Amino acid sequence: MNTAVATAVQIRQLNYHFGQGDLRTQVLYDIDLDLPKGQIVIMTGPSGSGKTTLLSLIGALRSAQEGNLQVLGRELVGLNKSQLVEVRRNIGFIFQAHNLFESLTASQNVEMAVELTQNWRKKRKLAVEMLSQLGLANRVDYKPNALSGGQKQRVAIARALVNQPQLILADEPTAALDKKSGREVVTLMQQLAKEQGCTILIVTHDNSILDVADRIINLVEGRLESDENLENFVSNRDPKSIDRRMFS
Amino acid sequence: MLPPRHTPLAWFNLTHEKRRLLTAVAGVSFAVLLMFMFQGFENALYDSQVQLLKRLNGEIILLNRLKYNMFVPEQFARRRLYQAQAFEGVVAAYPFYTTTGDWKNPATKTVRPLRVLAFNPDDPVLPLPGILQNREALKLPWTALIDDQSRSEVGPIEPGTVTELSEQQIRLVGTFSLGTDFASGNGNVVISDQNFLRYFANLAPEEDSRTLNTVDMGLLKVADNTDLAAIVKAMRQQLPEDVAVWTKAEFVEKELDYWRESTAIGFVFSLLTTMGFFVGVILVYQILYTDVAEHWAEYATLKAIGCSNFQLLGIVLQESVILVFFGFVPGFFISLGLYRLTADATGLLMQMTWERAINILIATFIMCLISGAIAVRKVQSTDPAEVFGS
Repeated sequence: MNTAVATAVQIRQLNYHFGQGDLRTQVLYDIDLDLPKGQIVIMTGPSGSGKTTLLSLIGALRSAQEGNLQVLGRELVGLNKSQLVEVRRNIGFIFQAHNLFESLTASQNVEMAVELTQNWRKKRKLAVEMLSQLGLANRVDYKPNALSGGQKQRVAIARALVNQPQLILADEPTAALDKKSGREVVTLMQQLAKEQGCTILIVTHDNSILDVADRIINLVEGRLESDENLENFVSNRDPKSIDRRMFS
Repeated sequence: MLPPRHTPLAWFNLTHEKRRLLTAVAGVSFAVLLMFMFQGFENALYDSQVQLLKRLNGEIILLNRLKYNMFVPEQFARRRLYQAQAFEGVVAAYPFYTTTGDWKNPATKTVRPLRVLAFNPDDPVLPLPGILQNREALKLPWTALIDDQSRSEVGPIEPGTVTELSEQQIRLVGTFSLGTDFASGNGNVVISDQNFLRYFANLAPEEDSRTLNTVDMGLLKVADNTDLAAIVKAMRQQLPEDVAVWTKAEFVEKELDYWRESTAIGFVFSLLTTMGFFVGVILVYQILYTDVAEHWAEYATLKAIGCSNFQLLGIVLQESVILVFFGFVPGFFISLGLYRLTADATGLLMQMTWERAINILIATFIMCLISGAIAVRKVQSTDPAEVFGS
């Protein structure tokens, strides 16, 4: 395994603009960031700071324009759409909303993701295993509207994890959940990440889940403002300022 | 049982909401019904033009060269028919006479023109059940059979009714079933060739009197296993040029072409059928678009996790195909029922054939494909990045 793959994400001098001509506005400035394998990284920052844009660039959902962006050993700058689709198949996505098909059971929703890897024969087995690990063994054949919010989000996590991606990107995974189920969901993500050795990048405003992170990145107005571990992050700020900064 | 390859997302999405599925199916059925009805009317008008021709017994038709469709009153010399009979493979030749005669309604005494069909009752020229049963009665002088599909204005048609044809007394001895067309809007009567002379050989000086020496149409029966095309070719080369030789199938086509080109039937009904088609496109588009719009986030998520646009198109097209199947079946059966009702009410020849049903099925299929292709653009243009945050 080469060194590039030892870091799941390597970003150098990444700039990103929205719009064109006079309306062109820069949202990301000179981002340098390395996410080593197996780390859980939380990205915080005020609204409009470019967190989601950065997340979608890493997730190959947008094409990067300037700089270098290596994800799982592959350079994303300059890839065309179908190559980006290829890259996305190796990444697990968790969204703020669960985005499950109401017409499909929990297991079928997870199986849809397995099908993208052409693994037809074991899809049901893999889906059931993953749901069981997330504590949904007895809800496998329930449809989403028979599940609670936390359970739905766990199904969505199962969908993201079932193909054992090396990189998981989560956008406010706890936003639609109450405190207790949010906590559960994050803890499960942490456990599975440790077992599978995958890298997780979470964008969140929820400071109650900061403790699962190995590292916290703060993005302000398109620039990386700080990059430190949890202890430093908390000790460097008084709690009220954390809140103000994070919920603004 | 083998595990299914794909999770049938299209099926589950459509059947998830039963009420919406029902509306969707009703919509497709309605479009199918519209197309079937308009096609049915169009075909009925064409079919009725050639129903007499199709029922005449003979594989080859001999006509005056000037007679380019069934109602042109041109005859040819009967000896041409006998010349044609001498060809190898021809087993029988039947002369067929036709003209228009004034029929007096015995109840109201009003006069209407009817098409008169005349031939030797011993020859199987027009083998319809009512005619075959009454051949002996038809041989008597001053007798006729009347088409029971004639318009009611011709008056009572019970056997034994006595009235006038071409201002001479006539007695009805039975009925047969044929139907009306543009050339005989009121109905048909069948008489023997001998009676034909009685009614039409001695007309007033200004009218063309008829004899049996000139024939309106010659019908040739050929032996089984004969090469029809070869006989026709030989006849065309060897018979004098005052007659035209057609196989019956060719002449049926020629007749249909005439009606297609000289009337607006084709245009009007094709337009209506096309409108039915587009009503269907819009209905199905609405249904599919609603599905796509409501599950926008889910489809975008699929796209985010690596589902290609092509695969998404596949899902929406599968939904279309399911709608085609579920919508077509009831549409087809309701149309069959309506064909029946229409035929009974109007006397139009509403025929459902496999070919016509399959054509509409294909049209329905294309209809749903178009709708699906338009509806799926909503997802295809989706930027999966929008699922994040926003």
